[in-house]
Amino acid sequence: MSDALSLALAEYLAKKLQARDLTVHDLARIPGGASRETYRFIARYGGRERRLILRRDPTASLIETERSTEYRAYEAFHKLGLPVPEPIALELGVSALERPFFVMAEVENAFVGSILAPDPYGAHRDKIGQQFWSNLGRIAGADPDALGLADFEGAKDVGNCWRHELARWEKVIDEDEGEPEPIARAAIRWLKRNPPPPAQKIVVVHGDYRSGNFLYDLNGDIRAILDWEMAHLGDPLEDLGWALDPLWAHHDPSRPAGTIPRAEAIALWEQASELKADPAALFWWEIFASVKGCAIWISAAHEYATHRNDDPVNAFSGWYCLAYHNKVLAERLGALA
Amino acid sequence: MKPEAGDILGTAADQLMGQIAPNLNVHYLQGSLAVQALLLKFAAREYERGADIRFAENADMRALFAELAPNIGDAGLRAQLMAAAATKDTSLAISALNAANAELRRLLIALQIHIEDTGDSAAQKRIWEALNTMASRRVVSLF
Repeated sequence: MSDALSLALAEYLAKKLQARDLTVHDLARIPGGASRETYRFIARYGGRERRLILRRDPTASLIETERSTEYRAYEAFHKLGLPVPEPIALELGVSALERPFFVMAEVENAFVGSILAPDPYGAHRDKIGQQFWSNLGRIAGADPDALGLADFEGAKDVGNCWRHELARWEKVIDEDEGEPEPIARAAIRWLKRNPPPPAQKIVVVHGDYRSGNFLYDLNGDIRAILDWEMAHLGDPLEDLGWALDPLWAHHDPSRPAGTIPRAEAIALWEQASELKADPAALFWWEIFASVKGCAIWISAAHEYATHRNDDPVNAFSGWYCLAYHNKVLAERLGALA
Repeated sequence: MKPEAGDILGTAADQLMGQIAPNLNVHYLQGSLAVQALLLKFAAREYERGADIRFAENADMRALFAELAPNIGDAGLRAQLMAAAATKDTSLAISALNAANAELRRLLIALQIHIEDTGDSAAQKRIWEALNTMASRRVVSLF
């Protein structure tokens, strides 16, 4: 990895952490999604060694997000005691590393479950599932004011959450659609004609809470909930609908997120959040989740096709994931016709 | 027998995945190469089925337009549907099939909006059947 990046990072952290002897070692890029460049490195200072993660904006971002959002979510939910990486430093300027970035602690000896794997959690499936759905309930149950996140982007009115989010993702499709998408367009019209009831309350929505976006260890303990860059204010059912989406079910939709049966998952979420998952409202948010998926995959395909971001994950998303979500929507909405 | 493009892509994917990726000592590149190999696998299959998928989808949309057009009250839309139903794919080049497909999809969206407004439930059901068939054809298998 470039010595220049290591040196610039060391210089920045030495000032930020007031550690003049700080040096950076073994800086190496690791997989971390197409929307941020992710690096692992070791910082040595004051006679100790810390394993840290750098998340830097790419030259072109898949989904434009407020840069401080992910870092602030880590700060808030770390204080709340949820398993998230410890945030270390946020830099919104471009003078240090050419692009905005943040640094957080590395969660060591932990793994990500690939969404392509048929049974990523093995013998720990139930244990991980109980934590996964309860943790999502804890996020939904947290008060944005108490978290210090009440100024996050999103709906401020319980009656407007669905409209706000649907407009956001319809705009992405409008802007990035490479070819007409009749299924996504029909789904958007269905969502508009059949709005859900008002949200039970406004909460912080993670925005991408799913299998593959958390780290777990060999004991089956979830060590870190990752990728909060799309966090926003909204309806708590939005995250539940997304987490339940069959794309993240490892080919067995009866066990969402590759974990426990659907009914148990929803019951754990209700218990931890002290909210209700009304089936009709949840169905709306599940259809929305697949439309949101289509929007993200269409955007990924656009990034790749226009060479703004040629990460192969973008091509995979724009091909496999988009075809998958089109099929999910056609089956679910076709069954209602 | 000369190798087809699909064979070449598939073999390249296997070599990348089985021989080259495991010998890379950079974790990020290993992951990236594995995704590239998977994409080559997809491309290998698409070489065989890509034109067929598009040709069949275009034919299905034309047949749907011919079936539903007589009951469309909007004279302008009815005329567009009948004209589109009478077209044919004259080239099997992917770019030509895609261009025709985009035009047909635009018209399908307009037709479905019209049908939703009129409340014709039988026609709505028929369109969703067609959409389901289209979506099923385009599903990409990981295995």
